[in-house]
Amino acid sequence: MTSGPVGVASPESRVDGAARLPKKPGPTPFTIVTTLGAVVMTVVTARAVGFSFEGLIENLTRPNSVVEGLLNPDFSQIWSERSRAAFIETLQLAVLGTVAGASVALPLALWSTRVGNPNTFLRSIVRIFNNIVRAIPDLLWALIFVSAVGIGALSGLLALFFFSLAVTTKLTSDVLDGIDPGPVEAANASGAGLTQMLRTAVVPQILPSYSSFVLYNFELNLRSSAVIGLVGAGGIGERIEFFRSRGEWEEMWGLVVMFFLVVMIIEAFSVTLRRRLV
Amino acid sequence: MIRFSNASVTYPGGVQAMRDLDLTIEPGEFVVIVGLSGAGKSTLIRAVNGLVPLTSGQLQVNERDVTTLNRSGMRDLRSEVGMIFQGFNLVDRTTVLKNVLMGRLHEAPTWRTLLGLYSKADVHLAAQALDRVEIIDKAYVRASNLSGGQRQRVGIARALAQEPSIILADEPVASLDPPTSHVVMRYLQQIGRELGITVIVNLHFLDLATAYADRIIGLRDGALVFDGPGSECDADVFESIYGRSLTADDTMAKQAAL
Repeated sequence: MTSGPVGVASPESRVDGAARLPKKPGPTPFTIVTTLGAVVMTVVTARAVGFSFEGLIENLTRPNSVVEGLLNPDFSQIWSERSRAAFIETLQLAVLGTVAGASVALPLALWSTRVGNPNTFLRSIVRIFNNIVRAIPDLLWALIFVSAVGIGALSGLLALFFFSLAVTTKLTSDVLDGIDPGPVEAANASGAGLTQMLRTAVVPQILPSYSSFVLYNFELNLRSSAVIGLVGAGGIGERIEFFRSRGEWEEMWGLVVMFFLVVMIIEAFSVTLRRRLV
Repeated sequence: MIRFSNASVTYPGGVQAMRDLDLTIEPGEFVVIVGLSGAGKSTLIRAVNGLVPLTSGQLQVNERDVTTLNRSGMRDLRSEVGMIFQGFNLVDRTTVLKNVLMGRLHEAPTWRTLLGLYSKADVHLAAQALDRVEIIDKAYVRASNLSGGQRQRVGIARALAQEPSIILADEPVASLDPPTSHVVMRYLQQIGRELGITVIVNLHFLDLATAYADRIIGLRDGALVFDGPGSECDADVFESIYGRSLTADDTMAKQAAL
């Protein structure tokens, strides 16, 4: 009765075959330990930072000039020359930082993989470099360059360059692991050099994903450029910080709301574009 | 000319895929290598262009000693040897023409390749190669939009664009249906005869082998067990190569009838 074709019950086994369904396995020790661990960690950390719902509600309902500013934001700042210039600077920072960072990211991603860099020693050097760049957050890059280069858009550009480099390199090298090795073999068998092989056999395969990552990176940079401005790296963030430090909440919120709208519109556009790519 | 002398290949896992092979293939020969899977057919073919290095022995291809070539010498050798693959190995996302231009990479400077600029002469050669396998009308079609037989013709064109003196074909029809297989085999035969190119083909269908080969080489466990003209190769010889009696799986015609 074990030799019957799949899906056809042999005559002697008239009993309901579903009865032979094995007992459902219980949760593994790994699942139990990790679930317990997650719950314990959450409770312990919530206590450590003094989180309580009463405190949250009490703080939010207390009269607060900052929150009042949010209720009547002052949009007149958009038409002031300095704020408009800051907005444009933010867009420029995002575009330039993305283009520069993503251009360097492509070779770095290729050189960090076995197919793009057969030399084990050089490959590990590129990987270590990529890991270091990735470990530093955008705000820290901005702080580094503001102290090294000075306050202004150049620091912001450098910060976004390294941030884009980190993001696009990581995402692209993950895609490189899954390419079809056939064309690589064909290029090598034709006597192509390493760079020629990468350009003709590898890059065409990853180009749609790579373009999508570059656009996604642009969205990240747009948001990031507001944050890094808070530490003096140029753009709209610097303007927001200006009003914040003077306690002019209506003007500050006006800029924040406008920035929010700009980001939403550009993201919607970028997401549509990315969908068509992959 | 290709000359193996006392050549052996042992893979890192300990599998010996070539045992003391002595074999000479003259320019312009159409040679078919037969044997069970794992008999060393792919190893033999890939040794010729250095994709698989010999563990011991000598191998001469076009007056070059393959075992002692440095990196640029190896690239020079590979540019003279075209290769055709079972899985076609085309870049699906790009056009047929760009796939064929891959055969010109060895002659193109790297900066031109990086910018995607191919010389007029290279495009001309690629177009001629596409015309030879009668698929030039698809030059600007993406490779992913072609049928299996069409893809393999593009694979042949890519090898031809190298202007090679030798073409290696590793199971070129294993992913194709019988009529398409015959089309591909006829193109290979025609190329060998008209251009004087040495063609070495791995096949596992006996009827295809005897129909097209000038010379058949039988491998068993990495060793040469038959070497002779296709006409001498009858069922008894194949049974000795395969080490078992023949089944319907061994011939394309009978397998197709199943």
